[in-house]
Amino acid sequence: MRWDELDELLRAALSKEVAEGAKGLSGLEERVVRELARRSTHQRFWTRVRDFFTRPTPRWALAGALAALLIGFALGRLTAPPALPQWSPNLFVIAAPGARSVAVVGDFSAWQPIPLSDPDGDGIWMASIPLPPGRYEYAFIVDGKWVGQDPLADEYLRTFGEYVSVRYIGGGRADLSS
Amino acid sequence: MPAEELELIQRSLNGDLEAWGEIVSRYKEAVFAVTLSILRNYADAEDATQDAFIRAYENLRKYDLSRKFSTWLFTVAANVAKNALRKRRRAKDPPLPEMDGDPAEEAYGDLRLEAVRQAVAELPETYRAPIVLYYWHGLPLEEIGEVLGLPVGTVKTRLHRARALIRAKLVQEGVIRDAVG
Repeated sequence: MRWDELDELLRAALSKEVAEGAKGLSGLEERVVRELARRSTHQRFWTRVRDFFTRPTPRWALAGALAALLIGFALGRLTAPPALPQWSPNLFVIAAPGARSVAVVGDFSAWQPIPLSDPDGDGIWMASIPLPPGRYEYAFIVDGKWVGQDPLADEYLRTFGEYVSVRYIGGGRADLSS
Repeated sequence: MPAEELELIQRSLNGDLEAWGEIVSRYKEAVFAVTLSILRNYADAEDATQDAFIRAYENLRKYDLSRKFSTWLFTVAANVAKNALRKRRRAKDPPLPEMDGDPAEEAYGDLRLEAVRQAVAELPETYRAPIVLYYWHGLPLEEIGEVLGLPVGTVKTRLHRARALIRAKLVQEGVIRDAVG
């Protein structure tokens, strides 16, 4: 037998074998499509479950944000440090977390430092200085550095190249100047 | 690639399962031949064929449209069948003797064809798949190498060895009397 004859025999034998086995492939299209559709539905279900938890709708997002706000507020109330003393014109207060020493200097003290304290260690330093009505210039000294702009000041000045804060006690500038 | 087939693939990519069903219809026999060549068992090959089409659909986005679609599909099918074969070997489940032909048919049909079929079935899987892809699919050696993940040189040697083994078997069984020349 020549090689090409054997080749033909091989082709014929394989064709017969595949043709016989392929009888079982009847309806394969439907089975594949059905399985893919089932997987797609299954996948959509889990996608919805996942989306429910990971991609909240605006309504759920709003509800979640509100809940977080309420929880945060409640926790804040529970863990908040003691309330700050009510602000008054006599209260000098500055946020200086991590500072070792904070003082206020002003014309009311002849520019001598008056130490501020931070008893609860939250970084808010304060001192209440009883002052008669009037206009006062002042600045804070935080770890030796000049901090001339107090956010609670009524106005700022530049003196000697540095800012100083101005506070009016016992009435506004107009009241005091009149 | 024919425009019609490209359209079917593009529709399938857009989630049109009917289009994919048409692809299945066109290629099911060819894919079955690939899985059968590796698994040598009709039932397993049918399952692997179904799995191959599902796997191919799920990975259709990875298909490079510049490649020949059938080659890519056969590669997916060969990989699915090889995985099934590995699972079967791990389970130590011998292939079912389903490949035996109908006794009545053997008695009255072409005994030579049946003997050749049996000789092919007894080839190791590494030789059987190239034989089927070459003789049944008519694939060029380069595509066989692509489908099976083999260098072309290896495909050539395996085809030569496979044919020699088949011939030896047929001579041994007296199906062919003379040496192949």
